[in-house]
Amino acid sequence: MDTTIRITDELVLKNPVMSASGTFAYGEEFSEVIDLSLLGGIVTKGLSLEPSKGNPVPRIVETPCGMINSIGLENIGIEAFLKSKLPLLGQWKTPVVVNFYGTNEDDYEILASMLDSKKDVAALEMNVSCPNIKKGGIHFGKDPDYLYSLVSKVRQATNKTLLVKLSPLASDIAEVAISVQEAGADGITCVNTIPAMAIDENTWMPVLANITGGLSGPAIKPVALYMVWEVSKHVHIPIIAAGGAASYRDVIQFMLAGASAVEIGSYALRDPFCFTTIIEGLDKYMQENALDRLEDIVGKLKT
Amino acid sequence: MKDLECQIVSNQMVCEDTYLLQACCDFESWKPGQFVMVRINDSFEPFLRRPLGILAYHESKLELLYKVVGDGTRCLSLKKPGEIIAVLGPLGNGFRIPAGDEQVTYVAGGAGLPPILALAEHIKKGTLIIGARTRSNMPLLTRIQSITGVETLIVTDDGSIGPKALAADILEEVIQDSHLPGIVYACGPPAMLKKTALISQAKGLACQVSLEERMACGFGVCTGCIVATKSGNQRVCREGPVFEAAQIRWS
Repeated sequence: MDTTIRITDELVLKNPVMSASGTFAYGEEFSEVIDLSLLGGIVTKGLSLEPSKGNPVPRIVETPCGMINSIGLENIGIEAFLKSKLPLLGQWKTPVVVNFYGTNEDDYEILASMLDSKKDVAALEMNVSCPNIKKGGIHFGKDPDYLYSLVSKVRQATNKTLLVKLSPLASDIAEVAISVQEAGADGITCVNTIPAMAIDENTWMPVLANITGGLSGPAIKPVALYMVWEVSKHVHIPIIAAGGAASYRDVIQFMLAGASAVEIGSYALRDPFCFTTIIEGLDKYMQENALDRLEDIVGKLKT
Repeated sequence: MKDLECQIVSNQMVCEDTYLLQACCDFESWKPGQFVMVRINDSFEPFLRRPLGILAYHESKLELLYKVVGDGTRCLSLKKPGEIIAVLGPLGNGFRIPAGDEQVTYVAGGAGLPPILALAEHIKKGTLIIGARTRSNMPLLTRIQSITGVETLIVTDDGSIGPKALAADILEEVIQDSHLPGIVYACGPPAMLKKTALISQAKGLACQVSLEERMACGFGVCTGCIVATKSGNQRVCREGPVFEAAQIRWS
């Protein structure tokens, strides 16, 4: 049985199960819990040029079958990451995908060129869709023309595999995906959290200090599944699904809809051991369905 | 850190809205002040685990004392003996146990009781000040009053047990008579912790506080539960939940 997934020649995954950005930090805590070599890929917390303190607390609120976060991309900054975190991540036999974001176009270019020379970095995931920061983030991700120009610039700055993580808020996600493909991206991560909020009816106040946040977890899986399906009909570059996956069944469903790999995010906060369970579940599914190559099912939805 | 499937032995209301849960569990070690993340159901409701301070662990039995405050704890309160919960832990740093003969004072308010009781039952000396709203929401009274070597002072908002006062106000009186060096441990509402920290500092006493914050993961990856300290943001679940009070930037 072959579970190998080839995103590009440089980004080859031993299986389609990846961590998602923001729920895996820089891998250290999870390395105490699971064998990181088992994963298909590791996606880091989103990094910026300078360290970021993020938003005030409360940053987390539970919702039906999911949660809203407004962490605000707290991170240690690219330099501290390269110095203290990347060498540890590089020791696992698992490709490292560095998620990064800028508050202006120059930041994106500088970050991409800084990461371009690092041998322990297999790919870059460009975040143009975070709902929790005032500058950059989601504002970059909604307009296809603007995104085309931004991704083109980043493309010039790096030869690494370049993934672009899309916002579910785009009025036409297929149009945005086509722009990203035309600008030279190697793959699309689909999708980021959905802007959301929670209100306390007793205090008449928002629950999150930032007022709004991003919804994630199984609650958004049907939306993510639809968006993967929609995007896959319009682009030929690989799609990496993100949005509420919690089981091997979800991974299979996303692959049938057109995803080559699947990032596990919020569910890993609830069950840090789920990566192992999901990978084992995929093996069992392949046996039961007499599948030789898992990659063969990508986009094979019968309609 | 392990995720342990634990069978519930008992889960009983011990006072208004507060339950004592006992479950079979297999920790290799633990420290007072540590907590666990409890997965209540296999289904996605509630989606996240609940962080609960460890009340006690002995002879493979874990004790958790929790107040029903929302949907998650309400679901937990409905669990019957024999049912299984998944327990991730023990998590966090725990309290620093005094090495010498320091004077020990504990301050607990509201839902901050479990880690402080765990500590007092471990250290077996000192003065324990507990603040509650009223008699009907003061759990485990007999157990608390019989902790070996520990003198207990209970105060309530309405005077239904002990003086009508706030725990932090009593602290000022208690440590007037104390000798140095000494340490104050506190867990409870933020205003109580801040006041306890200031009083301790003014008297030249060390002070450790156990903080509460909304958590998603409980083991440091989501950074949902940060606290502002003098060395920047720290994670309540990972660097804490116990912090040196002097390190906290109180709001």
